[in-house]
Amino acid sequence: MSTSVSSPSASAALQGKDDRVKTRSVTSRLLSRPEIGSLIGAVAVFVLFCVVAPTFRTAPSLATVAYSASTIGIMAVAVALLMIGGEFDLSAGVVVTTSALAASTFAFQLRLNLWVGIVVALLLALAVGAFNGWLLMRTGLPSFLITLGTFFMLQGLNLGVTKLLTGGVSSDSVADMDGFSAAQAVFASTVQVGGVGVKITVFWWILFVAIATWTLLRTRVGNWIFAAGGDAAAARAVGVPVRRTKIGLFMAVGFCGWFVGMHQLFSFDSIQSGGGVGQEFIYIIAAVVGGCLLTGGYGSAIGSAIGALIFGMTSLGIVYAGWDANWFKLFLGVMLLLATIVNLVVKNQASKR
Amino acid sequence: MSAATAGAAPTSEILRLTDVGKSYGNVHALRGVSLSVRQGEITCVLGDNGAGKSTLIKVIAGLHQHTEGQLVVNGEEVRFTSPRDSLERGIATVYQDLALVPLMSIWRNFFLGAELSTGWGPFKRLDVRTMVRTTDEELTKMGISVPDLERPVGALSGGQRQCIAIARAIHFGAKVLILDEPTAALGVKQSGVVLKYVAKARDAGLGVIFITHNPHHAYLVGNHFVILNRGNVSLDRSRQEITLEELTNEMAGGAELAALSHELSTAVPAPDTTGR
Amino acid sequence: MRIRSRKAAVIALAATAALTLGSCSSSGGREDTDTGGAAAGVADTPRIKIAMVTHAAPGDTFWDIVRSGAEAAAKKDNVDLNYQGAPEAADQANLVQSAIDAKADGIAVTMAKPDAMAPTVKAAVDAGIPVTVLNGGIDAWQATGAIGYFGSNETVAGEAVGTRLSTEGAKKVLCVIQEQGNVSLDARCAGVKNTFTGTTENIFVTGTDMPSVQQSITSKLQQDPAIDRVVALGAPYALTAVKAIADAGSQAKVGTFDTNEELVKAIQGGTVEWAVDQQPYLQGYLAVDALWLYKTNGNSIGGGQATLTGPAFIDSTNVDRVADFAAKGTR
Repeated sequence: MSTSVSSPSASAALQGKDDRVKTRSVTSRLLSRPEIGSLIGAVAVFVLFCVVAPTFRTAPSLATVAYSASTIGIMAVAVALLMIGGEFDLSAGVVVTTSALAASTFAFQLRLNLWVGIVVALLLALAVGAFNGWLLMRTGLPSFLITLGTFFMLQGLNLGVTKLLTGGVSSDSVADMDGFSAAQAVFASTVQVGGVGVKITVFWWILFVAIATWTLLRTRVGNWIFAAGGDAAAARAVGVPVRRTKIGLFMAVGFCGWFVGMHQLFSFDSIQSGGGVGQEFIYIIAAVVGGCLLTGGYGSAIGSAIGALIFGMTSLGIVYAGWDANWFKLFLGVMLLLATIVNLVVKNQASKR
Repeated sequence: MSAATAGAAPTSEILRLTDVGKSYGNVHALRGVSLSVRQGEITCVLGDNGAGKSTLIKVIAGLHQHTEGQLVVNGEEVRFTSPRDSLERGIATVYQDLALVPLMSIWRNFFLGAELSTGWGPFKRLDVRTMVRTTDEELTKMGISVPDLERPVGALSGGQRQCIAIARAIHFGAKVLILDEPTAALGVKQSGVVLKYVAKARDAGLGVIFITHNPHHAYLVGNHFVILNRGNVSLDRSRQEITLEELTNEMAGGAELAALSHELSTAVPAPDTTGR
Repeated sequence: MRIRSRKAAVIALAATAALTLGSCSSSGGREDTDTGGAAAGVADTPRIKIAMVTHAAPGDTFWDIVRSGAEAAAKKDNVDLNYQGAPEAADQANLVQSAIDAKADGIAVTMAKPDAMAPTVKAAVDAGIPVTVLNGGIDAWQATGAIGYFGSNETVAGEAVGTRLSTEGAKKVLCVIQEQGNVSLDARCAGVKNTFTGTTENIFVTGTDMPSVQQSITSKLQQDPAIDRVVALGAPYALTAVKAIADAGSQAKVGTFDTNEELVKAIQGGTVEWAVDQQPYLQGYLAVDALWLYKTNGNSIGGGQATLTGPAFIDSTNVDRVADFAAKGTR
């Protein structure tokens, strides 16, 4: 028994007399929010492009930026929840294409109303998520490996099935089928706001982020997500249904993938079967820039939205600024790195207070 | 802080193990363990590393199923298939290292898995205000005071975390509290604080199973002592039947230790060899 | 088919209970089409074995059209065609070697990476097997002793587009590259720049993410309203460019490289001005047919020079003629 080591503060703290633990101020609490670093980064990127790119400041341009952010952000919010729950999903990009292809080929080949295809695609996307989650919980393998497997499988299925059914590499156009106009109104229409056309995905995105934030912070499920990602064993020991929670999160990614897939289908009428590859990293990047820890248990839905916004502003801001397109990826990398570093610095500052 | 104070009241048996055994294939991790836990009493389970302490916990907590013998809770024979089963019977386990989720705030941890909700239908939401207030009250009742319940648990000391976990178990109506080496990773003072709350839990009428390999800590609070050795019970005494010295000696391996002591023939007192 | 589709519809409806409206689409959907090739009668010459080895990646429409051209020629010429493809040059060379080992009567091969392919192609020629080169390798095929070359030249195609844009009176062209670092895509835009009298600007987009393609083009058009032409390097991107132009409220017109069924419809509908292609069907067809002619009659096509299969423009003047073929996947 080592008698030399002692920690006098512990008992004092428990008696409420520890002078080292101060009640934290409101600013300090605000600074300890996961998304605060990315918010500062987003403001910096916004100001930068406002200064260097006159077109960037106009309302139609901002609507385009918001559209760009929304197509990334709708997936990023689900990916962020999953990362808070401690898992990755590398199939998140491809499942978008899979659901769009499923909806269009199913309805097209069987000559059904498009809404049947939409529902079938939803079931398929949820099933892919459930499969990922179930296999993960069943085998205990890292989600990185399992979803890498699904990633390749779906990629192969996308190409193989499309080739088999259409003889080409893209799905047949669904623009003249029953239910197209209604589906387009839901998934891919443009709403006039003060004379500026704003894509409907922007509003869906805001709704999804609001629901996710509410779920995370104000529902039992949210508590379970944090716990499952923070310490799955501890969560299980106190009775949190970790298995159900994680499977549910994978299904949420499937749902959002389906939604983005439907948007693509009804925006572009037909779908390239090789699409979506590489997008999964952009979703993960948006979530990480928004303050999600790669190790799980920490992050926010709003953060993922800010991350998506930074991505949208940067990728289009370069175009608005008229910078040489050859440097696009470099600028993007620098921007993202800066945002992440600002994020880190702010978080360290906050925890020191 | 005398353990004798609790022994006065008449107590009833809450949990009983009769000849419980657990084997993993050919390996017998636990054999013929009999144990009884009474209301308002602390049963200490001592044993060296690998003696079968954690297997015993896992069986009672519902993480593993026993393969032999009987597990009786409130007079009813049970076989737990999940931690939830065990929890529903009023058995709460406070693990040494996985008691709480470090990145989550104190109040969220306190109510984790048993969150309070308010509202209806889609507007059903966490009742944050009640949960924060209750956490504050419960911690104060236990004499724990933390200024900011929004702080992540990871920022607290090991002793504080143990106390929060114990307070949580008591609040949620645990009748039996299993404490897995709550003092193992702690310094002397922090250990003292934790032992105080163990005693408080006992005084609140709970039956406590206190797993430790430190006979000094055990003797400070225990009513009953069971020593496990290679999966078997090697000693089973009540407080009246044993002194600290005997307990220490038994725990340290009894005769084996005497031989070792003779061999080394140094001035090192025997009890010290039991520390980590 | 009909019964199965009803059943599936019923199951889908029962499973979802989401639809009260009739589930069968009254318009659109799959149509029964015959997939007859361009083959006429079959030649009565002795049956010969020809191997075609390309650098095609699986699932690429372009190569499907090349293949159907080759198969049409094979059918007509009483040829036993063995089609293989491998994107890696080393794998492709191995496939050629195995055709030599199998004593093929002729080999048609692409030389996208001439340095890697030339030794094996030479080996085939030395083994007395006639070889035709298609699609790629315009600068290298003669040195190997091959009997003919059927293909296009990306730079030449780009230059043809540049010339056309100049005559149309365009001032500023946006060339949309969907894959950064792809040499042949760069060559197309470079070709446009060579001959176009106005300004040419390139923009890189992420081809695997259609919404971002649209967003990038939209933002470029918002940033620079002077752009009056968008040149896409693939049919799907041209169709997306049309939507981007509508989003940006721009007046720019769209032209593109390569076609597909939808794009042909877009030209018919007037939303896309024209498409330029290298007639992949012709490349496959001629590569096989030239081997047959050489074998059976000692002919050679091109007189020792490359035979260019493109660039060929499809626009409102000839689109109706092309439309039916495009629907069959041969244009």
